[in-house]
Amino acid sequence: MASDFTEIEIHTIREGIRRKYAEVAQGGPGCCFRYPTGKEGLIKLGYSPELLRGIPESILASFCGVGNPFSLGPINPGETVLDIGCGTGVDTLVAARLVGPQGRVVGVDATAEIIARAQANLALTGLANVSFEVASAEALPFPDGEFEVVISNGVFNLLIDKEQALSESRRVLKPGGRLMLADMVLVQELPKDLAAKVENWYQ
Amino acid sequence: MPGKDFLALLLKVGFNRAGLVNYTGFKSSPYTEGALFFGEKLVDPKAEAVITSLRAQLEEPQKIEGLPGRSG
Repeated sequence: MASDFTEIEIHTIREGIRRKYAEVAQGGPGCCFRYPTGKEGLIKLGYSPELLRGIPESILASFCGVGNPFSLGPINPGETVLDIGCGTGVDTLVAARLVGPQGRVVGVDATAEIIARAQANLALTGLANVSFEVASAEALPFPDGEFEVVISNGVFNLLIDKEQALSESRRVLKPGGRLMLADMVLVQELPKDLAAKVENWYQ
Repeated sequence: MPGKDFLALLLKVGFNRAGLVNYTGFKSSPYTEGALFFGEKLVDPKAEAVITSLRAQLEEPQKIEGLPGRSG
């Protein structure tokens, strides 16, 4: 489902998202959002202490997800997991602990600055079964059937072509693979003037 | 995008057992709420072909045999 936006508007949205998440990569807890982030956000969203065990506090402080995809079902030892829009990598690292050394987790994000932050976070953990790369959710650089699980947290609402991104998510899943996704959805119509603002997409 | 529209997209791209599992109560603005979605890729490609075919049929406008046409 392509959007009704013009090419210029699409560029404006994507550049706005890139700038915002580059700021997130540099910022401390609570720098950029109007909702609880960091460890406070994790606790409010129901992440158990068991899930977060072993992940340094400085990494948890960079969490800015909007839900708990791990509440949707188990991720098992030995599985391969893709985290779409991984941000600073908190969920990626949680998944890495769940799959264990026999499993593998890849985090992708469209913003280079935030991938650099995720890689710096990874270096603090010593985990060897995780990698991060810059990639668009709408054009995933993986072969068909690569992963058992795709997770994502607060990302699809930002994407212009959600259908293409969902199609890509399904393509990279193995048969029997699971999509476990947390996101924000509209629960009431935006006021006309607000909805008309391209900037509203990412603010 | 409303949750039901996102769920419709999950089904459209071919996820099986797709669901809007629940709203979380988490609000980032007066207009939005957190939601959790699940979907599964079918194991059997033959079953997938059947489901794709059924979905295509359901998306076709249905003709009801024997119904008189409207005039005027």
